[in-house]
Amino acid sequence: MGTQHVVTMLPGEGTGPEICEAVRLVIDASGVNIKWEYEEIGLDCLEKHGTLLPDKTVQAIARNKIALKGPTTTPIGTGHKSANVTLRKVFDLYANVRPAKLIPVLKRPWDKIDILNFRENTEDCYAAIEHMVSDEVAQCLKVITWPGSYRIAEFAFKWAKAAGRKKIYCVHKANIMKMTDGLFLDAFREVAKKYPDIESGDIIVDNCCMQLVRNPAQFDCLVLPNLYGDILTDLCAGLVGGLGFAPGANVGDNCAIFEAVHGSAPKYAGLKKVNPSAVLVSGIMMLRWMKEEAAADRIQKAMFAVLDERKHVTYDVGGTATTDEYAQAIVDKMHAKA
Amino acid sequence: MPTCTDIAKATKKKREIKLVGIDMYIITEKGIPKFDDIGPFKCEFISNRGTKVWPGFVSPDLLMVNWYRCRFMATKDVQDADVNTFLDALTKKGWWWSASQKLWNYDGEAGFSKAY
Repeated sequence: MGTQHVVTMLPGEGTGPEICEAVRLVIDASGVNIKWEYEEIGLDCLEKHGTLLPDKTVQAIARNKIALKGPTTTPIGTGHKSANVTLRKVFDLYANVRPAKLIPVLKRPWDKIDILNFRENTEDCYAAIEHMVSDEVAQCLKVITWPGSYRIAEFAFKWAKAAGRKKIYCVHKANIMKMTDGLFLDAFREVAKKYPDIESGDIIVDNCCMQLVRNPAQFDCLVLPNLYGDILTDLCAGLVGGLGFAPGANVGDNCAIFEAVHGSAPKYAGLKKVNPSAVLVSGIMMLRWMKEEAAADRIQKAMFAVLDERKHVTYDVGGTATTDEYAQAIVDKMHAKA
Repeated sequence: MPTCTDIAKATKKKREIKLVGIDMYIITEKGIPKFDDIGPFKCEFISNRGTKVWPGFVSPDLLMVNWYRCRFMATKDVQDADVNTFLDALTKKGWWWSASQKLWNYDGEAGFSKAY
């Protein structure tokens, strides 16, 4: 066994715990040496401890600097705050990295999609500054800052360069929101000057959506403010197989949390029928972050093989396997290949 | 035949509005501001880029800008004139502010969000 890593596991709620157990089974079978520290987060926590994010959980993440997270629930329109947004704020996880890459065995109408999305994760309309300014008017402040915009652009160019990427586009609506999106675009252009080897440009968000569904292969890397990033990363996930296969990482300067981007599907909780692939591919992304490339490759290869065979896949991809059976099939495939 | 605009306007409901505080947007290069109570207003929290930075824990790694949202809540019943007095006092204390936003409850429910 190689170097031991200590990772905080946040199973979340709804189907989260059963998904995370399946993912742990697969990751542990990959040969990587991980000590998992389980901590609580989310709605169950709110009911038990009066907070979405207990201090014990915060301290564990701060200590380990890396976490794998299952889904959590956020009510719409009312009720408690989002556990996800709280985590991003507390640890200043300013970069949401959302790769959208075709999984070969999932038949899609496109030959090639391999887009790296870099979503600014902490400001924009997510600054939680909302007011009912009269009894019939609500407003939400869209907060865009120079340092916040500059650092996500810097992060994106650095990541793209390390990954051998060739082209980055900034997505914006600066033709209408000239101050806010204009500032975001200005910062991007300033950073782009430092990376002459990477082609850079910009595209208006509505055009970008249209281009993504017509010809997604033209895009390499996208840098987006928070709200457009939230929407377009799901659009990109839809292009390659849906949220059930979409990995995500929330990264700051000193901490990274890897998570599925889908919801907690509470109505399926305990049924052990949901597809754990999104948390699993987030786990693969985490292993690569930890420089455990061999383990990541093993899991990915086995997962693709199981999906290709279609014998032990979950209902959403046309099978009847349970969450655990799918995970075990991946483990068996890894061992068979060994 | 009423237009859609007419129909929409007719749905307006009367709600009881009560002034309960002020959000102040302060610009400073001197770090997180500190405030004593100003008249009937007490500082409840301060946020920067939407993240609460006072009171309580703030990560030393947190990116902060020079613009703070400072929430002052009324400690007793207040009127609009109290806000004028508050703003005047704040300016006289040397605080540079970009905007203020009155905080109202509507039928007893807060018409404003909390910070993360």
